[in-house]
Amino acid sequence: MKNKKFTLLVLLTFVLSIFLAACNANPATEPSEKENENENNTEEQASGEPKEGGDLIVGSIGAPTLFNDLYSTDISSSDISGWLYDGLVKYDENLEPQGDLAKEWQTSDDGLVWTITLHDGVKFHDGEALTAEDVKFTYSIPLSEDYTGPRASDFEKIEKIDVVDDTTVKITLSEPYAPFLGTLSYGILPEHILKDVPIAELGENEFNTKNPVGSGPFKFEEWKEGQYVKVVANDDYYNGRPYLDSITYKIVPDANALMAQIANGDVHQASVQSSDLPTAEKLVDDGKINLSTELSLAYTYLGYNQKNELFQDAKVRQALTHALDRDSMIQAVLDGDGEIAHAPSSPLSWAYNENVPKFDFDVDKAKQLLEEAGWTPGDDGILQKDGKKFSFEVKTNQGNKAREQIAQIVQEQLKQVGIEVTPKIMEWSAFIEDVTAPNWNYDAVILGWSLSADPDPTALWHSKEREEGLNFVHFSDPELDKLMEENTKQVEQSERKETIAKIQEGIAEQQPYTFLYYPNDHYALDASIKGFVHHPSSEYYMIEKWWMDK
Amino acid sequence: MLSYIIRRVLMAIPLLIGISILSFGIIHLAPGDPTALMMDPNIKPEDMEAYKEKYGLNDPTHIQYLKWVGNMLQGDFGQSLIRQGTDVSFLIAQRLPNTLFLMLVSTALAIIISIPFGIFSARKPYSLTDYSVTFTSFLGLATPNFWIGLVLIMFFSVQLGWLPTGGIATLNEPFSLIDRLNHLILPAFVLATADMAALTRYTRTSMLEVLKQDYIRTARAKGFKENKVVYKHGLRNGLIPVITIFGLLLPSFFAGTVIVEKIFNWPGIGLLFIDAAFQRDYPVIMAVTVITAALTVIGNLIADILYAVFDPRIEY
Repeated sequence: MKNKKFTLLVLLTFVLSIFLAACNANPATEPSEKENENENNTEEQASGEPKEGGDLIVGSIGAPTLFNDLYSTDISSSDISGWLYDGLVKYDENLEPQGDLAKEWQTSDDGLVWTITLHDGVKFHDGEALTAEDVKFTYSIPLSEDYTGPRASDFEKIEKIDVVDDTTVKITLSEPYAPFLGTLSYGILPEHILKDVPIAELGENEFNTKNPVGSGPFKFEEWKEGQYVKVVANDDYYNGRPYLDSITYKIVPDANALMAQIANGDVHQASVQSSDLPTAEKLVDDGKINLSTELSLAYTYLGYNQKNELFQDAKVRQALTHALDRDSMIQAVLDGDGEIAHAPSSPLSWAYNENVPKFDFDVDKAKQLLEEAGWTPGDDGILQKDGKKFSFEVKTNQGNKAREQIAQIVQEQLKQVGIEVTPKIMEWSAFIEDVTAPNWNYDAVILGWSLSADPDPTALWHSKEREEGLNFVHFSDPELDKLMEENTKQVEQSERKETIAKIQEGIAEQQPYTFLYYPNDHYALDASIKGFVHHPSSEYYMIEKWWMDK
Repeated sequence: MLSYIIRRVLMAIPLLIGISILSFGIIHLAPGDPTALMMDPNIKPEDMEAYKEKYGLNDPTHIQYLKWVGNMLQGDFGQSLIRQGTDVSFLIAQRLPNTLFLMLVSTALAIIISIPFGIFSARKPYSLTDYSVTFTSFLGLATPNFWIGLVLIMFFSVQLGWLPTGGIATLNEPFSLIDRLNHLILPAFVLATADMAALTRYTRTSMLEVLKQDYIRTARAKGFKENKVVYKHGLRNGLIPVITIFGLLLPSFFAGTVIVEKIFNWPGIGLLFIDAAFQRDYPVIMAVTVITAALTVIGNLIADILYAVFDPRIEY
């Protein structure tokens, strides 16, 4: 196998060496990295009355796959779906739930029955009314035996759906499930168009790629393969026609090209990566663009594989965190544009616990803890225990400059306490295969998580997610498992917050990760764009209220 | 001639089978699969597993290959693993014309620029002109395409703002020929540079060889003007070997489009291929490989036939 891989490497090297750009990895694991920049929120600069008109062009490195929330897994698709479809509920810029198609919703005292009232007069793009029947139809798809998409688990708590009248739907759950609010953000599909399509074939149906019909502020017009997706204003949108006449989602192959297009005015809006910030700031100085910077709902971490003996002692993991100077890391790599992270959550979340145990930079403390754990310096200065050296490899993905640099800094800083680290930069798909189940072929990784608005930690930290799921560091704590099982059943937010706070404390205490930092998002916006609202996880939030001052 | 063509076509079949087995094997040896793009805490492992089952990703490689060949022989390239519900044939039909168009223009550019330079060099070998042509063509040969591309974008698009930074046409504008040409200039030129150097050198060598021949001396002795000697008597024979070289350059052209399309955001088959490779979209990778291999084989065949057309000494 080693040989095969080597041959392959040689074969692919020439190709890979050419492309230094990041691959189109799922942003859920690749929050774009950030650097320093002056706050410059266009919200405050909005001048005058909004006016109708304007063809907005937004640029993106990712290309969409299909427009149906129940089947797509990439961020480009869900971004564009957000323009075409409405969900029942959405999360605003403070991550508070707000009604979208839902005028209001109520939960029974036992948390089992959700009663949702829809707005009157909502129409699909083809003029048909959107009713509670369409909600029932949409939510029934992932509940079906024949459903082939990846979203079944978000709906599995639904026991039955009752249509009360045209604008009222009652959903009964099998157990109280607080994160269900997130499920209510899926786009509602038109029953009258899709009712005759067998559910087994819905994922491959042309509706998703050639003719998506929703009730959202924009209507699908054209998808030009490899070039762009164009949508036009929906004049009959229930919440008023959007100001923009059209949005063109332009697909650009790499970050360099995207930057050039922003500079040229070929693209009016795009996310800016850390390495391009100096260029973007120059454009701000020239008055061409505005740059909006806010904390991203994400964190970057260094994770330790607890299948490896080196990392099974919590004391050792704490020592590793003490040995790492995250402040200088943020200065060196991100130009100071990021916050040190301590918890498996984000300061943006209502469930964030700022009082988790913290392991600040302290080399003496690190050395002392390592000594307590039985590690002593050998002749070559490298720590040893039972004749084994403290030496490991840290893997991260190619194309993410910040992570590549952090791997080198970790090597440098851990050398100070006698630990030998070898950075290894890998192509995305190969890297993910190594790290995840069933291979777990790694010692430590540098990665990031984008978080959902709902703070449920189960998917990453529960013991049951070790064998196949995303708990690939093999963290396990029966006490915390119990709390995780409880947290989703707590309908009362304050109560749930306490439970999650305990979970975060427990995780931080044991340091399965060294939480590195909270990155920022940066959006470049053409100077003519007004009405932009920066949202921590949704790039085109409320785009129906953007307008162009031209 | 006809029997020769039939023979060549028949020979291409085992070649294409070999290419398909090799590529299929190599791409499946690469670690990872399309699910690497689904690292999302909201997607359950069992859903991922169901996806792999559905697309037969858990079958042994040779079974997957046989299934793929079986479908392909019936003209079915399958569906993209990443773009569910989209036929690979649709993706290719949308993009192949763009690539062929770019290659055609770029080939024309390469011919128009290199052949005259090659002739200049050959007419005054070891002169200053010759040395500067040689130097420039080696420089072109040695400089990577992507670097030239980025420098030209920096200069003509970002600094001067004369040309677009990429793409095939300006968005939200009605079709215009001028706009199309503006988008085409840089990528076509960059794609041409790699082969221009080779073509110039071959033309020079071949013309030098021809200009030494007896019949050229005879023509000069008859008192024909030098231009007539070179272009009427020498050129046709001088260009014969160049035609063959052209056939051999085709694969490098395809390789070049991958890079050039990526830099200039040219929505062709090269860009499709590179994205598919990173995403492990096996059906797309295989379809592009087979099609480009087939086009290369056909291109070489045409070059060989042309050789016979231009050179009466050759008989098949």
